[in-house]
Amino acid sequence: MGVLDLWEMIRPELLTAALATLQLALGALLLGLVLGLLLALARLGGNPLLGRLAGIYIEIFRGTPALLQLFIIYFGLAAIGVTFSSFQAAVIGLGLNAAAYLAEIYRAGLEAVPKGQTEAAQAIGMTRGQVLAWIVLPQALRVVLAPIGNVAISLLKDTSVASLIAAPDLMLRAQDLSSQYFMPLEIYLIVGAMYFALCFPLSLLVRRIERAQERRS
Amino acid sequence: MDDAVGSRLAELWPYLLQTLLLGAGTTVFLTIASLLVAIALGFVLALMRRSDNLILGGIARVYLEIFRNVPILTQLFILYFGLARLGITLPAATAAILGFGLNGAAILSEVFRASINAIDRGQGEAALAIGMTPARAMWVIVLPQAVRIALPPTGNFAIGLFKDTSLASAAAVPELAFRAKMLVSETYLTNEIYLMVAAIYLGMSLPVAHLVKRAERRFTPQKAH
Repeated sequence: MGVLDLWEMIRPELLTAALATLQLALGALLLGLVLGLLLALARLGGNPLLGRLAGIYIEIFRGTPALLQLFIIYFGLAAIGVTFSSFQAAVIGLGLNAAAYLAEIYRAGLEAVPKGQTEAAQAIGMTRGQVLAWIVLPQALRVVLAPIGNVAISLLKDTSVASLIAAPDLMLRAQDLSSQYFMPLEIYLIVGAMYFALCFPLSLLVRRIERAQERRS
Repeated sequence: MDDAVGSRLAELWPYLLQTLLLGAGTTVFLTIASLLVAIALGFVLALMRRSDNLILGGIARVYLEIFRNVPILTQLFILYFGLARLGITLPAATAAILGFGLNGAAILSEVFRASINAIDRGQGEAALAIGMTPARAMWVIVLPQAVRIALPPTGNFAIGLFKDTSLASAAAVPELAFRAKMLVSETYLTNEIYLMVAAIYLGMSLPVAHLVKRAERRFTPQKAH
């Protein structure tokens, strides 16, 4: 059986699995974006206790493998009676992990906005919330766009790790299919090409944003 | 933790710790071996991209795009399970070192390229003007300066690599994550074991991260505003 015949046979299953991979990445990214912003605000806000807690969170999640985090959320929590489906555990685990990286990106972005901007906004009578929402965040957004894009690409690739807790993603389907057809090389190469087709356009987009920013600065 | 678990843990923990530390040793070995492959090949790729030869530059670019846009786990499975079908059976640890090395080379080649480019052009030109060959100018003048710039990002890469080696557990390499999985199915002390493993990973990655941060402050050129 040639690679093209094989592709014809397994295409529907792989496309369904690719959709699950996209959902997994998107869910984790959304969770990471929200939690990451909260962590960044906790680190930059005045409360030392919150700042410390956020710092510890970031160190722990960046200092241990994502695979281990998935194991703890999926197998570890189940052992104390908190059960998630493997898909849920993967979204939560990858999202909590991404939040730690995104928090540092947000922080760099927020710190890149000159202090005078905040002071000027306060001087014309804006509240702290208004300053953040209308003055600081929109300017920080420009700085963080490309790094967030890079996190999104990493997430898309890292969803493959979720297959190791049996989340029904592209990589898990590939493992099933290769034990079914005994063609692991062909199937993993096909799946590799599919990941490439998902990630490469994103990489090009991020590089364009980066280049546009370099020109501006 | 109920009493039964507590007493089993009290009884078993020396065995658990010993087995996990054995795994940690393999993790460190995998990391260092892969790092060496990645640095050597990454340097070659960086030079290929800088060369005037369009074919060499093109090959390096294609290599880079492929390895950066495909998950490392897929790459490992191609090397370990895929090649076996062609009759090329690599031991699991060899496949892992090769996989992490090939993948890391793509990332490090960009780090090295950027570091070399960050050195003022005048440095290389001055070296050529006093009669050095291009190769000598590169070795003696440009690279020693570029190494300092490349050090912090290479350190960050090494920390990422250290954590990523946990994926080798999928190919049954007896590193930390794999040993943990085995111990969990043997003793059912799930959380206790995973928390020990997390502590071991943190205990090794945090000091290195701290060193990298210090190196960053010392070596990374500050942008003038």
